Amino acid sequence: MTPTLFGRWQTRLFLLATVGVLVTLPFSLGIISPGADPVFFWVLGYVALFGLFWDVLYNYLQKFRWDRDWPAALQLLAGISEAIFIACGVKLLGLPNVARELPLFWFVIHYSLVWLGVFIASQSLMRILFPRWRFKGGQWL
Amino acid sequence: MNSAPLRIQLGWDEPATGERREPRLNVPIALGRDFNGMPAQIQGRSISRMVLNSLEVSRFHVLIDQDSSGLVIIDQNSRNGTLVNGTRVAINTPTPLANGDTLQIGPYQIIVGFALGTQPSPPSSNSPIFFNPNTGLPDPNQPSPPPVVPVGGSAPISRSAFPPPIFQSPEVAVQDLHATGLSVGEVDYVAVGAGLGSFIWADLLRIYGVKSSQIAAIGIESKPYSRYKQLCLNSQIPLHERLRSNSDSCPDNIWGWPSYALREAWHDTVRGRVGNALGYLWQVFSEPTFAQTYTPRAGNVFDSIDREAQRIGWDKMFRYGSVRSIRKTSDGRYAIAFSQTTTGQRNHAFLVARYVHLAIGYPAIKFLPDLQAYREKTNDFKSVVNAYEPHDHIYEHLEKYGGTLLIRGRGIVASRIVQRVYEARHKNQQIRLVHLMRSPKPQGNKFGTSQRQVEHHYEFQPFNWPKACWGGELREMLEKANPQERQRLLADWGGTTTADRRDWKRIVQEGLKLGWYKIEFGEVERVEREPDGIITYIQEKNFKGQMRLEANFIVDATGLDAKVTANPLLNDLVTQYNLPLNPLGRLSVSNDFELVEMRGSRGRMYAAGAITLGGPYAAVDSFLGLEYAALQAVDAIAATKAPGIHRLNCVSSSLQWFKWVANQMP
Repeated sequence: MTPTLFGRWQTRLFLLATVGVLVTLPFSLGIISPGADPVFFWVLGYVALFGLFWDVLYNYLQKFRWDRDWPAALQLLAGISEAIFIACGVKLLGLPNVARELPLFWFVIHYSLVWLGVFIASQSLMRILFPRWRFKGGQWL
Repeated sequence: MNSAPLRIQLGWDEPATGERREPRLNVPIALGRDFNGMPAQIQGRSISRMVLNSLEVSRFHVLIDQDSSGLVIIDQNSRNGTLVNGTRVAINTPTPLANGDTLQIGPYQIIVGFALGTQPSPPSSNSPIFFNPNTGLPDPNQPSPPPVVPVGGSAPISRSAFPPPIFQSPEVAVQDLHATGLSVGEVDYVAVGAGLGSFIWADLLRIYGVKSSQIAAIGIESKPYSRYKQLCLNSQIPLHERLRSNSDSCPDNIWGWPSYALREAWHDTVRGRVGNALGYLWQVFSEPTFAQTYTPRAGNVFDSIDREAQRIGWDKMFRYGSVRSIRKTSDGRYAIAFSQTTTGQRNHAFLVARYVHLAIGYPAIKFLPDLQAYREKTNDFKSVVNAYEPHDHIYEHLEKYGGTLLIRGRGIVASRIVQRVYEARHKNQQIRLVHLMRSPKPQGNKFGTSQRQVEHHYEFQPFNWPKACWGGELREMLEKANPQERQRLLADWGGTTTADRRDWKRIVQEGLKLGWYKIEFGEVERVEREPDGIITYIQEKNFKGQMRLEANFIVDATGLDAKVTANPLLNDLVTQYNLPLNPLGRLSVSNDFELVEMRGSRGRMYAAGAITLGGPYAAVDSFLGLEYAALQAVDAIAATKAPGIHRLNCVSSSLQWFKWVANQMP
């Protein structure tokens, strides 16, 4: 992946709004997790919101790489960092609309599945739907 | 003060193209990025100002002058400093310079030479070997191509003159073509070259809805990868070896999915080699940081192109022929004159087309001038070769009898030769390898806050340009830049690099340690044949004498020549229509890869590949780069509401992808 800042934002928002929502539905309806709970959608929202700022940081770090690329392994590390950040935010500071008692187990399951879904989609689906996407640094618009 | 100004020669390879520059300048000399930022005079003496176009070079970087002790260099408080023979010089302090010293200023590695006029210097431009237009193979006996259009306006119209005299004017009428009596075909789309560039463009046109009957690809080899494959095999990349190309750069698949890594992993899994499969997946996941970059096997790429060529009906589109000339027609299209001459039969024809695509590849192979002089003098075309010429006989000889091979040039091709020699040594330990580089490279290029890695004077980069040049922030940066800035960026990102492969690094280290591989530096004076082999004479620094390098064979691994003037078709086009050339001497194209000056009322002309380097896109000479050029061009054509073509959207793209998977024609 060789994204630009706008590409990161556009891809993140598109995939969270499609794949992210699809993966979150079974959680919020109580099919996977015990009890219907809309908190998972709020978590998804925070991933999107904080992600916009994280992407600025990743874009800056990327400039230290000669190829200006962002390998998948770094995407995984970034995903883990973002999860820890949100978990800390929820447990230590408290985020609006997310209960402090959010069960970490289900949070990790939900987050991992969302991340995995978004990752797989960015490797395959985005290329097939938007053939010019990979030439424009991730911009599909 | 001396009365006569000292004249010295500076020599370097242009980082973006590898072309040699060897200007002779009067001291004092100023080097910097900005001509007007350098002083014109010092103490009443006028300064020779030389521009080095790179962002890593300060506006006024160094001053080379002479004082009582001799030649000195003074760094003008530059931002990135100056290295002399690998050591950084103190700013504003005169540092002595000797004959043969290497300066590193930004990405430029400059060799300083005095003592001119004692030897006749070899021609300063690299001499090309042209591809034989009938066989497509590099042919050292192929003379410089004759002018395309027969000159002499008073010549009567005769069947033997081709292209006919009507081609001497910039516009021809279609009825005049018919009047010559030769066959005149009409299609909407013509791809000139029928190589990889043409194939990728035609493939995209088919995916966008154009029928194969409306596309013609004119070339001399029916398989689109023929020349590419031949050059691979010649330069010691057998079919099982891996190319320097990304996993998702698939000439047969515009979406890049499934990538070659996925295909190879699947292939290996199905055959029980699960470990290998997981290895490839791990590579594409962590490359280049935690794992070596995955690259596809040459054979797999060619097989995939065969499948796609069959799917899109390439053999219906391919027409054997050698395009001689192209002219605009009075009705806004293009007339293409091509020769279909085979042994025993002269056959010429015309094609009239609305959209023309030029992707003819490299017209010639570069050859170092001293090696060219040797070949002309001795008529020995077997012992001194270019790596892109077929030269398996050299390795066969070495395996049987042993001997010494000398490599000139560093880069991916040199690395392949080193690997081949290593493999030959398994058969015969009496093989030695000498690697002659012009100058040491202690440090890699810098750009912004990043720098390339160097080991044993090999500079590493996974592909021939930084990865973001294909579709990332560097692509955007180059497209937005003006021509001056583009030159700078290409100089900073370019230069000679090779792939960071574990096996290659191990071979180099082992060779250096055991002593069968030596790296030497120096400027070659001349190459002679003597009783004990081929001797390369190198001017030693500081006049300590001459160095002699003995070898049985010499391989020139310095690359391919893409100057537009080397190809008769392009030269004719450029001359007839006054087409602008970009700063690297290649065709100037728009962001859509269009030759804007050739636009007609009903048609457009596009170009792709090596002949377009120096414009809005850096990685033109690559699979993915050709796909990008095709996307830009075909999208632009679709926007003109051309016949039978529909711009690809989410739905049509997905549909076409499924057709690809099912091997159904588009």
